Amino acid sequence: MSMTILELIRKRNVLLDGGFGTELIRRGFPQGACPESWNVERPEAVQEIHKSYFEAGSDAVLTNSFGGSAIKLAAHGLDKRCYELNRAAAMVADEVKPSGGFIGGSIGPTGKFLQPQGEFSEPEFEDAYAEQARGLADGKVDFLLIETQYDLREALCALRAARKVAAVPVFVTMTFNRVPRGFFTLMGNSVAQCLEELEKERVPVVGANCTLDSSDMADLVKVMRERTRLPLIAQANAGKPSLSGDGEVSYSQGLQSYLEQIPRIIENGANVIGGCCGTNPDYIRRMAPLVKKRG
Amino acid sequence: MKKEELLAGIGAAIVEGRKSKTEALAKEAVKSKLDLTEVIEKGCVPGIQKVGDLWEKGDYFLPELITSAECMKAAMAVFQPELDKANIKTKTQGKVVIGTVEGDIHDIGKNLVASMLSASGFDVIDLGADVKLEKFIEKAEETQADFICLSALLTTTMLGQKRAIEMLKQRNLCGKFKVLVGGAPASQKWADDIGADGYAENAMLAVKAAKRLRGA
Repeated sequence: MSMTILELIRKRNVLLDGGFGTELIRRGFPQGACPESWNVERPEAVQEIHKSYFEAGSDAVLTNSFGGSAIKLAAHGLDKRCYELNRAAAMVADEVKPSGGFIGGSIGPTGKFLQPQGEFSEPEFEDAYAEQARGLADGKVDFLLIETQYDLREALCALRAARKVAAVPVFVTMTFNRVPRGFFTLMGNSVAQCLEELEKERVPVVGANCTLDSSDMADLVKVMRERTRLPLIAQANAGKPSLSGDGEVSYSQGLQSYLEQIPRIIENGANVIGGCCGTNPDYIRRMAPLVKKRG
Repeated sequence: MKKEELLAGIGAAIVEGRKSKTEALAKEAVKSKLDLTEVIEKGCVPGIQKVGDLWEKGDYFLPELITSAECMKAAMAVFQPELDKANIKTKTQGKVVIGTVEGDIHDIGKNLVASMLSASGFDVIDLGADVKLEKFIEKAEETQADFICLSALLTTTMLGQKRAIEMLKQRNLCGKFKVLVGGAPASQKWADDIGADGYAENAMLAVKAAKRLRGA
């Protein structure tokens, strides 16, 4: 029997994929459309992106379902197709999965708030996430990644929902801002609080993604490592995006200085490393030898 | 309760995010026939400013900001009928039309800016998310707004900020409204490039930028 993702993580550092939205746009994805709709309408484009990441060296890629919770899809009027779009996300990825590769079902935040800041109740969030997780699980993902979470309460809703409907392991990454007192989520959850709660819930792999560039991410990994012995995920942005007058997007950090921090991210204790906004298959290709280096 | 005590109390209640206490003190101010504009300017506004400072320092986060903004709203709900009755116009900081530009459904940042502007004494008309660019201009004209605030989270949709300003130029409306842009990929440079009047990195800085432009 082949190795599971958890077994691989125990064995060596694991490489995830990088940015997805920008890759979709490069393939003609129109502004304002729903990315998840392409799992059905343009599956070959989605597959091409997954393939390019596997070819670059990713051990696991994440499905095109970041905004696939029923609540997020409702903004595009597609909430009724939540199950279908997520199942398709998993299936199109599975079709290009190489031997020894893994598919992670991406579950991003709803973009809404729980009461009292927002209008949603925890059961409503759980329902929205359960529908998504069910689709991903039925489409045969190897694990679920609840990612880019800015509210620990929401992350825990997603976790409960995912576990209710899916048998695969569920990982969680939070997204932290750097403030003078340290790293905190938008809602003010500290690193310690997040790790403590997630560990209590027996999440097997935890970590952080997005918001920070690879230098700040390396610092954050150090802080996380002091607080937990669990395998840690780290997926940094390539800095902050900017747009030139002629519409060219560039990221403040850039490839070279992004890569320079990858050894530090690993030394500080990350075990599962990937990219986030602003990264692409080139980044992953260059990260592969740094991440998969043994010893 | 002495006036000074009440002013300090209502400010502290806002900082601490205690809505019922804020409301009770607001009612007390009305009952004691205090000068309500003074209560607002010397009690509530310093409170909300303190909240902003705490947020910038990283001591407060989004829940605290929203809760304090709610307190401010609750106090104003008590004061407004009284002010109307006495025919007192509170000094508005300006009228703002705000929204996330078309093609972009992200509204967390925009909502935060809207609440902080409102709590800081601006008249805020929130058009929501995925708003047609024409709608911003139409609404601003219709309500004779001072500001148009354009939010965008994506590098693709931030081009809408640029187009909105071009539309204003085409209609000879530039200068009539001050245009503020914001959102993760926006920057001062971007604002300068597209000819926006201002940029702010976060909700508190948006309030400061709007106030500064108001003075200009």
